[in-house]
Amino acid sequence: MTSYRLPQGGLIDRSKPLSFAFDGKPMLGFEGDSLASALLANGCRLVGRSFKYHRPRGILTAGAAEPNALMTIGRGARTEPNIRATMQELHAGLEARSQNRWPSLAFDIGALNGLLSPFLGAGFYYKTFMWPAAFWEKVYEPFIRRAAGLGKATHEADPDSYDKRWAHCDLLVIGAGPAGLAAALTAARAGARIIVADEQAMAGGTLLSETATIGGEPAPAFARQCIAELQSLPNVTMLTRTTVFGWYDGNVFGAVERVQKHVAEPVSSVPVERLWRIIAKGAILASGAEERPLVFGGNDIPGVMMAGAMRSYLNRHAVAPGRSTAIFTTNDSGYALARNLEEKGIDVTAIIDPRENGGETYTGKARLLRNAMVTDAHGGKSLSAIDIRTGNGTERLKVDALAMSGGFSPIIHLACHRGGKPVWSDETSAFLPPAGLQGLEPAGAACGLIDLAACLADGAQRGADLAVSLGFAATPATFGAIAGDASATPAKVLWSTPGARGKAFVDYQNDVHSKDLGLAVKEGYGHVELAKRYTTSGMATDQGKLSNLNAIGLLAEARGVSPAEVGTTTFRPFYTPVSFGALSGASHGRHFQPVRRSPLHGWAERHGAVFVETGLWYRSAWFPRQGEQGWRESVDREVLNVRSNAGICDVSMLGKIEICGPDAAELLNRVYCNAFLKLPVGKARYGLMLREDGMIYDDGTTNRIAENRFFMTTTTAHAAGVLNHLEFCAQTLWPELDVRLASVTDQWAQMAIAGPKSRKILQTIIDEDIGNEAFPYLCARDVSLFGGALQGRLFRISFSGELAYELAVPAAFGDDVAEALMEAGRTDGLMPYGVEALSVLRIEKGHVTHNEINGTVVPTDLGFGRMASTAKPDFIGKAMLQREGLTAADRPRLVGVVPLDPGHSFRSGAHILAKHAAATLENDQGYVTSSAFSPHIGSTIGLALVKRGNERHGEEVTIWNGLRDEFTAARLCAPIFFDPANERLHG
Amino acid sequence: MADIRSLPALADRRPLTSPQVTLSALPEGTVLQVIAGPKTPDLTRLAGEAGLVARAIAPGQWFLVGNRPTAHQDMRRLLAMLEPDASGIDQSHGRVRMLMEGPMAAAVLSKGTAVDLDPTVFPPGTTAATLVGHVSAHLTRLDNEAFEITVLRGFAAALWDDLALMCAEYL
Amino acid sequence: MASLVPCPHCGSRPKEEFTVKGAALKRPSPEAGADAWFDYVYLRDNPRGGYEEYWHHTAGCRRWLIVDRDTATHQVTSCRDAASASAKEHGA
Repeated sequence: MTSYRLPQGGLIDRSKPLSFAFDGKPMLGFEGDSLASALLANGCRLVGRSFKYHRPRGILTAGAAEPNALMTIGRGARTEPNIRATMQELHAGLEARSQNRWPSLAFDIGALNGLLSPFLGAGFYYKTFMWPAAFWEKVYEPFIRRAAGLGKATHEADPDSYDKRWAHCDLLVIGAGPAGLAAALTAARAGARIIVADEQAMAGGTLLSETATIGGEPAPAFARQCIAELQSLPNVTMLTRTTVFGWYDGNVFGAVERVQKHVAEPVSSVPVERLWRIIAKGAILASGAEERPLVFGGNDIPGVMMAGAMRSYLNRHAVAPGRSTAIFTTNDSGYALARNLEEKGIDVTAIIDPRENGGETYTGKARLLRNAMVTDAHGGKSLSAIDIRTGNGTERLKVDALAMSGGFSPIIHLACHRGGKPVWSDETSAFLPPAGLQGLEPAGAACGLIDLAACLADGAQRGADLAVSLGFAATPATFGAIAGDASATPAKVLWSTPGARGKAFVDYQNDVHSKDLGLAVKEGYGHVELAKRYTTSGMATDQGKLSNLNAIGLLAEARGVSPAEVGTTTFRPFYTPVSFGALSGASHGRHFQPVRRSPLHGWAERHGAVFVETGLWYRSAWFPRQGEQGWRESVDREVLNVRSNAGICDVSMLGKIEICGPDAAELLNRVYCNAFLKLPVGKARYGLMLREDGMIYDDGTTNRIAENRFFMTTTTAHAAGVLNHLEFCAQTLWPELDVRLASVTDQWAQMAIAGPKSRKILQTIIDEDIGNEAFPYLCARDVSLFGGALQGRLFRISFSGELAYELAVPAAFGDDVAEALMEAGRTDGLMPYGVEALSVLRIEKGHVTHNEINGTVVPTDLGFGRMASTAKPDFIGKAMLQREGLTAADRPRLVGVVPLDPGHSFRSGAHILAKHAAATLENDQGYVTSSAFSPHIGSTIGLALVKRGNERHGEEVTIWNGLRDEFTAARLCAPIFFDPANERLHG
Repeated sequence: MADIRSLPALADRRPLTSPQVTLSALPEGTVLQVIAGPKTPDLTRLAGEAGLVARAIAPGQWFLVGNRPTAHQDMRRLLAMLEPDASGIDQSHGRVRMLMEGPMAAAVLSKGTAVDLDPTVFPPGTTAATLVGHVSAHLTRLDNEAFEITVLRGFAAALWDDLALMCAEYL
Repeated sequence: MASLVPCPHCGSRPKEEFTVKGAALKRPSPEAGADAWFDYVYLRDNPRGGYEEYWHHTAGCRRWLIVDRDTATHQVTSCRDAASASAKEHGA
C-alpha cells in the first residue's frame, strides 16, 4: 500500500513509530497520530460500510463529529465498538476492526441493499415492516438488526476501573483553541481558579492545524507557549482528553476524561475514564465550529473529505490526501487549504466555488471555477472523478481527493442544554447560541467568528468580562500581529447541488439523503421534529453534528421558508456518547451500595449465621447446625428453643433515637397517637406513630431514661424515616418546642434474650437484681455488667411473647458481651436465633410488623383502636383519623388464619374468599399479610386483613393464590396462636 | 469475668500508606454529640476541661472528640454539666473516625464529596456534614493536607473500602 | 448529572444530599375542619414557576429547609431554614 505520509512536517514524532493493525493488517504510524491519520497515511481509505445501504465509506472529518470511521477497538474484554477513528489516539499494538460488513470490508454482501434502495427510503421501516404483526419479533427485527448494525459490544465483564470526581472553579474554559486559550490566559493571569478542558490529547484546537503566524510564531508553537504558561500557574487545572458533555442546573458541567484510552495496557489501579462534575461560577464555551459538508451526488465516496479535516491531516499529521485534489468550497477556507496543499507540492486540480467572487487573494496554480458546483463524485471504494457544472456546461475531472466546505456551524450544543433555543443568523447562515445565558459565555468560533484574530480577541475579552464579574481585576490578554489569517468572508448558502444524479447524503451515519427529506415534506412530515424521526436524520450516534443544518436547510427549501422558521431539534446532553462505565464510576460490584454492618455481625458469623439483606443491613436469618436438612429445620429448632429454653437475637439494626430537652415528652405526645406525657422514668411503652392521613406509619417502644430524656426504638425499615419525621415535626411544625434529637442506632449493640431461662442467664452478667419484682415487665433502666466493668441499658420487652429482655451495650463491646452470654447460657440451652425464627415467634403472638403496617391500616384495623387518644388535643394523624372511610364497619381487620388440613399451606399475599366463592375481585375479602410454619401449631399459620375479620373468628374461608392457582380451605381465628393470656410475658 | 474487650469497627483494616495519600483509623476514643437549645453553652471551655476538641457540625450542634475514651462517670458528669442549655449524647461507639493525609488527600475526597475542599474555602478547623460517595459523613480539615472523616459505625468498613478504592491510583 | 441546593447552613450541595417532602404548607389547627385538612394532606398546586417545598438536608446539617424553586427552570430563588421561616397557608 502506498504511503501518503509527507517526508517532513507535522506534529508527529517520527522517532517514535507505532505498529498497529486494521482488520488484521499490520500498519505503521507515529506518536501524535490519530487512528484516522495513521490509516490515511497508510493509504487506507475504505474504513467502513454505511448503516443502511452498506456503501463504502472513508474518513470524513478529523474530530468528534465523525460519522463514518466507526471502528471496534481492542480485543477480549476490552473490545469497544463504535469508536471514532478520528478521536482515537494511536498507540503501539492498537487493534482496530471495521464494522457493519460481512464477510469482509471490501466484499460486503449487505451492499446489495444499495440495489434495493428504492424500497429503503424515508419511513421505510414504518411502511415495510407493518404486517403481519407476529413477524416483528421473529423475522423483521432480527433481520434489521443484522443488516443495519453498529459494532458489537463484548459480553465479557469490563476489566477496567472508572472514577468520578467533583471539581470547583471560578471559570471553566471549554475548548482550548484560540478563543479558549485567550480567555483562560486572561482570567488565569488575574488569579481566578480555572479549569481548562479540551477533548484532544494536545490542547490548541485549530491552532495545531493552522499555518498562520502570531507575533511571528507558527500557530502550533504559539499554542504550546500559551499552554505552558497556563500549566505553570497554580490556579489552573488543564484537563486534556476531556470532553465537556453537558451543562446542568446550578452551573454544573459534566465532563469525561479519557485517562487511559490511549494506552495498550492500562495501569489497573488508575481509572481508564474519569467523570468530572465541575461546579463553575462561570464558563466560557469555546467549542469552535463544525464545517458543513456539501450535498452532491456521491459525496460519501472515500476520498471526499471536509476541507478543514484535509488541512488538519496535511498540516498536523503530514498526511497527503491524494495525488490530485480538488476543492469544492462556498467560502474562503477552501483557499487556505489550497495554499497549504500547493506549499507541500500536492497538485490542486481545481477550486470549485459557487460564488461569483471568492478567494480573491488566492494566487496559486489551481484552476479557479467560479459560479460552479460539483454535481457528482464517481468511484467505488475510492474517488476517481468529479462532475462539475459551470455556466458553460458539465465537465468531468479526474481527481482522487475532494475537499468540501459548506461554511461553518458554531458548536452550540452546551449553550442549549438548559432550555435555550438557538438563534438563526442570516448574516452567518448559521444558528448562533442563545443570547443572555447565565453562567455560560460562548466565545470565538462558537459565536460565528471565523478568523483567528477575531477569535483570540473575543476569547480574551469574554474571559476578562467574566473574571471582572467574579471580582477579579482582569484585562484582556493581547497577542502579536497575525500573518496569513483566514478571510472572514461569509459562506454562500448551498443546501444541496441541483442536478445531482447519485445519492447526495445529508446524514452519513444514518444514510439519509437529500431526497428522503424532500419525501418527508411531501408526505406531511416537514416539521423538524417529525422529519427527524421519519427520515432518522440526526438520530445516529453522532446526533447529526455534521448533518443537522443541511437537513434544516433542505426542509426550509422544500417548505419555502427560512431555516429560522424550521428551527432545530432539541439539544440534550450528552454532546458525544459517554460510556456506562464512566457514568457508573466505582459504583458497581461491592461498591454498588454500602453494606451496613451490625456490631454483632462477627458474632453471628462465628455462630454460622446465614445472612439476609434488609435494606443496607445484613441480618442473621437463621443459624444452621450440622445435620439439619434445610432452613425450616433450623428455624423450627430456634423457635422451639426460645419457647423452652432461651434464644439470643441481634436487634442492633432497630432504629434508636435519643430525644432530649425540656419539651421531649411533649414532642412524643404529639407524634405518637397514644399518650407519653406521663410515662414514668424507667418505664417503656409501646407507641404507634401515624401519618397525617391517619394511617399507621411506624411502631416501637420508647422509654424514659430521665425526666427530659427518652430512648425511642423504631422498626429497622423506617429508622431513617422516623428520625427525618421527628426532625420535621420539631423544626417546621413546632419550632417553639425545645427538643434535641440524635440517632443512636450505631452507638449500641442490642440483643434480645428471650425465653423462660432468659432471666437466669442474664442475671449472671448483670450486677443489679433483675427479678420480676425488681425489674417487672416494661421496666427499662441503665444496668451495670460484669461487676461494674461495663454499663448498658436493659429493657424488659418482648416480641416473642416469652419472658424476654433487650440488652444494649456500647457497640464495640457487643461482640464480647454476646459471647459472654453464650457462655453463660450454655448449660441452659441458649442458642442464637435469626429473623426467620423471630418472625415465626411474633406471628404466633399476633405481633404486627410492616407486613401489616403497610400504609393502608389505621389503629382500629389492627385492634389498636383504643390506643389512639381521644383526650389529647392534637397528634399527627388525629384530624384525619375520624374520616368516614377509616371508621367504616367493613374495613379489613387483623385476624388469624389456619388451614383446615394441617398438611396444607398458604403464602403471604394470597387472597381470602368466602368459602366456595368464586375467585373474583368482587368476592375478595382480604389477604394474608404474614405466614409461617408454626412448630407449636404444627401447621402453617397466618395473619390476615379481612373485612370485619374481628367478627368472623371460626368462619371457614378459602385462601386463593392466583399466581399459583392454589386454593386452600382455612379457618379464621383470633390473631394469637400461643399463650393467648400473655402469661409467659409476665413470668 | 470483668475482662471485657472492645472490638474496633476497623480492627481488620490495615492502614494504607504512600507518599501521595495515607488512610488510617483513628482510635475509638470519645465522640460526644452536643445539641443546644435556644441558649448556647460555652463549649470551647467545656471541651477544653474535658480534654476534647469541639467541631461544629450543624446549627447548634457539635461533636466533642478526643482520642481517649471517657470513663462512664466522667461522661455522666459531662452530660450533667451541659444541661439544661444543651444535651449531650454519647456517640463514642456510634461514630468511627478515620484520618486521610497527604498531598492527594483533597483530590481523593473530591471523588466522594461535592464540598469545595480548596483550603481558602474549607480552611483547617472547619467541618462539613456531607455525602462521601454513598455514605453520610463529617469531614474536618485538620490541616492543609489532613482530613478527619467521621462516620456511623455500621458504615465504617464500607466507607473505608470505598475510600481505599478512591486512593488506589495514588498508592 | 447534578442539581445544587443552596443550603443556608452548609452552602451549595448536590440534591443527592437532600430529601424532598413536597409543598411547604402550614399545618392546619386540629379544629380546622375536614376541608382544610383534606386540602393540607392531599391537594397540591402544580404551578409552572415558583414553588415552595420542604427539603431536608439529610446527609448534611439535617435541617429542614424551605426551598423556593422554579419548576420550569429549576432555578432556586431562595432557601431558608424552616424553623425561622413560616410556611404558606394552603392556597395562599
